[in-house]
Amino acid sequence: MNINLKIWRQGSGATKGGLRAYRLENIDPNISFLEMLDILNIKLVKEKKDPVAFDHDCREGICGSCGFMINGRPHGPQKATTVCQLHMRAFNNEDNILLEPFRAESFPVIKDLSVDRKAFDRIISSGGYVSTNTGEAPEANSITIEKEYADEAFLASACIGCGACVAACKNSSAMLFTSAKVSHLSLLPQGQEEGKERVAEMVATMDEEGFGSCTNTGACSAECPKEIGQVNIARLNQEYISSSLYSLLKKKQ
Amino acid sequence: MSIIKLLTSSVGRKILMAITGLLLAFFMAFHLFGNLFLFVGEKAFNSYVEKLHQLGFLIRIAEFFLVLFVASHAYSGILLWIKNRKAKKVISSYSKENTSSAAKSAAFTGSIVFIFLVTHWSTFWYKFNFDLQGMSYYYVVTESSVGFGSPAVSVFYIVAIALLGYHLKHGIASAGQTLGVVGTKYEKIYNNLAAIFWFWIPLGFISIPVWFGFLVRIL
Repeated sequence: MNINLKIWRQGSGATKGGLRAYRLENIDPNISFLEMLDILNIKLVKEKKDPVAFDHDCREGICGSCGFMINGRPHGPQKATTVCQLHMRAFNNEDNILLEPFRAESFPVIKDLSVDRKAFDRIISSGGYVSTNTGEAPEANSITIEKEYADEAFLASACIGCGACVAACKNSSAMLFTSAKVSHLSLLPQGQEEGKERVAEMVATMDEEGFGSCTNTGACSAECPKEIGQVNIARLNQEYISSSLYSLLKKKQ
Repeated sequence: MSIIKLLTSSVGRKILMAITGLLLAFFMAFHLFGNLFLFVGEKAFNSYVEKLHQLGFLIRIAEFFLVLFVASHAYSGILLWIKNRKAKKVISSYSKENTSSAAKSAAFTGSIVFIFLVTHWSTFWYKFNFDLQGMSYYYVVTESSVGFGSPAVSVFYIVAIALLGYHLKHGIASAGQTLGVVGTKYEKIYNNLAAIFWFWIPLGFISIPVWFGFLVRIL
């Protein structure tokens, strides 16, 4: 198949970027989207031109490194799929494909399609963990967890932190990401100990990093490659309300 | 967490918006109850308004809180809108299909509703309280030039209240999410009640200018 690409090229965050057109011919429809970009880059290197920068690591859809906008949608047209798991057969011969980096002020462009998502790391380091003593693994059944909660926590923990939610959101809000992390830990007994501080700290960091606020449009869940649900945002809100009330009452005593 | 930090965080502002929004929606139900006396007749409506006036001081307190709710709802909304604009300066061809138009236009419909409220207060509320000039309350609403005697006023009320309903369509669902109702056993009841507030109550309000502004003149 033949495709016509338009790719956002930007030297660095400081310089101005723009779209540039490329044409690839005789592409095997069964290769992945990133392999198609590899072919383009080999061609560019041979022509002594600057290859297109894009993030990738595992190429198995589980690490959260890859991701950019394909025709205006994070990770492209296929539901619940990361870019690396998207194949060229999802497109037609002679399709025009527009590639842009994730757009958000909190995700500055590093180069071309690669953006700096360290803001997510800072949200995690402000509370997205449990402080447990390391050592021998405890007996698995010493803490019993209801299946319903274990399943919900597992669904929330599927978040790979790729940033598609922020890119999909008209407000560049990081609520889906933050709520997935809060939810995942608050549903389990190991996470409940630090639950009150966690939600307060993570929301504060999220605000400091300049992410927008959630207007409950649901665009994030629709584009999430791991199908993280809106219910997590409601759960973060519940946690936040109870955390605020708790700390207000505690102060009075 | 201090109370100031709570009220100025993005989630906190949204909680404030959700609570004030829901309280105003409850007030709408009460307001409609009073308005429906218009259909009972002139005497019934006038005596209802008289009874409210007799409450005197209590009404002024209620009005103070209503204005406070509108102001804090609008103030938080504007601050969040500015923050959201700052967070997304470069707009890519983001997926339009996944954001409902009620959600996208909430700030716009809210602004129109605010203009409507100011107009509503400066005409009906002002006349009822300070400038009656011997007219009956019923007459002010159904016949006078600030009421539905003017087709322009009637059309403005119909459009503004329809937009208010549209504002509430997103607003009430959004408040449920912000207050954490989604995902609990109350979600279904909440969603059923939401339709009363964003559809049936605005429809009840719209019936008044439609009837007194147009139908009653034609029929």
